[in-house]
Amino acid sequence: MRLGETVLFVGFTGIGATLLLALLWAPSVSINAFESPAAQRIFYWHVPAAWAAFIAFGALFVGSAGWLFKRSEWMWRLHVAGSEAGLATGLMAVWSGCVWGAAEWGTPWDWTDVRLNSFGLLTLLAIYVVLGRNSQPDGVETRDTFAAFGLYGFVLVPLTYIATRIWTIRHPGPVVATGDGSSINSDMGLVLLIGAVSFTVFIIGHMMASMRLTALEQRLERMQHNLDGGN
Amino acid sequence: MEGMTYLAVAYFGMLVAIALWTWTVVQRSRRLDERLLAMEAAAGKTDAEDNSKA
Repeated sequence: MRLGETVLFVGFTGIGATLLLALLWAPSVSINAFESPAAQRIFYWHVPAAWAAFIAFGALFVGSAGWLFKRSEWMWRLHVAGSEAGLATGLMAVWSGCVWGAAEWGTPWDWTDVRLNSFGLLTLLAIYVVLGRNSQPDGVETRDTFAAFGLYGFVLVPLTYIATRIWTIRHPGPVVATGDGSSINSDMGLVLLIGAVSFTVFIIGHMMASMRLTALEQRLERMQHNLDGGN
Repeated sequence: MEGMTYLAVAYFGMLVAIALWTWTVVQRSRRLDERLLAMEAAAGKTDAEDNSKA
């Protein structure tokens, strides 16, 4: 088993353990504070998935900048891996948020909430970059175009991060290390921490596997080109 | 308890979804490895045949 696959497996096992702990061990929340206390446990999936999405979008930003400014193949592979990982984790966070929102708020989406919509736009950006890149022949112009989207689209990450600190519309604000006594209790925090670490390991493993996959595809393309006589 | 059952099903569905995504990436990587090995073997054989003819 390769290193990327091993890291992936460790992360996946951690995610499974997190969900088991969230279901069987994490304390229940008050029925007075939540419309749907059972649905609140989606939090242990939703928050780490969003965290992993930010890591993936960070990788997309670094890879895009590296390609545009250094013309590095390694950075292009990071761009590809970051966009695919960002798409997958972004969809995980959006989907789990919709399920939770439907149970807690009575609606899966709120078009007036800045956090929801800026994160939704980030996920749409990842969909555009992944589908657009796959539909175009690989070349410098194609790479430049999608790297520019990856570079400038990153502005949505800090906006999404600070959105609930500036505009608390429907999405709740921070619940960890708030400093004002409104943090979640330690058992809930422990499960959330295990989830965040597991998702981080998982997404790093995925990006390693994805970068290797892109390298293999490029090698295969070069080899086919050489076998065809270099024409 | 009904809410917890739905939650368990949702958790299981999400785990299956990421397991499938992971499986797809690993399988694609293994298939490409095999194709590359086959192409390298074929290219090596062709070179050897060319050298023996010469």
